Amino acid sequence: MSKKGGTDKPADTTQRSEAAVRPDNTAPRAPAGREHAVIGASIHIDGDLRGEEDLLIEGEVNGTVQLKNNSLTIGPQGKVRADVYAHSIYVDGFMEGDLFGSERVAIRKSAQVRGNVTSPRVSLEDGAKFKGSIEMDPQAVQGATSRSAPKPAPAQPAQRPAPTQKFGEPAAPKPAETSPVVKSAS
Amino acid sequence: MAAEPVGGATRAAKSGAAPGDGLSAPLFHSLVDRLNDGGRFVVLDLAAARPATVRLLSQFRCRYEVAELADAIDLLNAEQDPRRLRTLAEAALPERRREPTDIVLCWDLINYLNRPALAAVMESIANRGRPGTLVHALVYYAERRMPERPSRFLPLDEQRIEIVAPSGALRAAPRYSPEDLATCMPRYAVDRARLLRNGMQEFLFRL
Repeated sequence: MSKKGGTDKPADTTQRSEAAVRPDNTAPRAPAGREHAVIGASIHIDGDLRGEEDLLIEGEVNGTVQLKNNSLTIGPQGKVRADVYAHSIYVDGFMEGDLFGSERVAIRKSAQVRGNVTSPRVSLEDGAKFKGSIEMDPQAVQGATSRSAPKPAPAQPAQRPAPTQKFGEPAAPKPAETSPVVKSAS
Repeated sequence: MAAEPVGGATRAAKSGAAPGDGLSAPLFHSLVDRLNDGGRFVVLDLAAARPATVRLLSQFRCRYEVAELADAIDLLNAEQDPRRLRTLAEAALPERRREPTDIVLCWDLINYLNRPALAAVMESIANRGRPGTLVHALVYYAERRMPERPSRFLPLDEQRIEIVAPSGALRAAPRYSPEDLATCMPRYAVDRARLLRNGMQEFLFRL
């Protein structure tokens, strides 16, 4: 595609071009063969979920999900009502909340997403249900993803859902809450 | 461009072009030209998010907002209470944010809203716009009948759009005239209008 004018081009054109030319039928898949934790279909979690390994959610999660250096997959049975911060995010199931993927966000054809997506690479398959926004301005994406995710609160006996942080707004003070332990799949 | 498999859809049934050629839409091209300026824009798409649209817009500095209004059309058209209709219209749009909307893509959705629903939706859109917001719409004008449900519009490039109409029954087209639209959308003025090869009227409205 040719572009006319546009003397003030976004700096990160390479990443933009990659997203622009990626065919639908090769939407990125979650890394295969890597160990990952699994939240099974019968598991329901309310709270601040964080970790340092890849995660597959087939159950229900409400609150906040932070996997800063890892990938999150919301499986076909997964239902997530949370703000999600991860390196890569793959959505096959239900997602309500904001998605911050520092590397990429892939919305598959079976996905139902209601929320705002911020990531340098966003792919969307035909058939996906999506309502919300996709931030495509590299400058805005860089600013959003370079900010740290909400700091975890110290563990406390009381368990309450985490407040939602919206793009462009300062993080609200986190209430004290426990973090559930997620067992790795073996 | 590779075909997008959709059950029961017919390609370019009334586009007046061979499949894959797309329909030249000069006013859509002028909108894309505007995005080429290099500035930041907020683009509101009233239809469902399509990979082709995501691919096109990902070249530009923009936030792409998606309403998927087709899901709410029946509800909007059935509502008779004006206050509830305004509430429904606002709820049918994405969450409102601080930035005003710069460009609105209606595709053919205007044709499927009755007059009160159309007025309510466009009023909601105007409330999140700014002076100079541009609204692109395709209105059935020459044809008396149109598909039962909205078609899918797939930008092939900056100038051409491929139309994938749902197969099945047709229904009477409202054939909104410029005067009808002016009554339903009093805050908007017609910036430009073109009659396209497929008989649709392409409009660019300005807030």
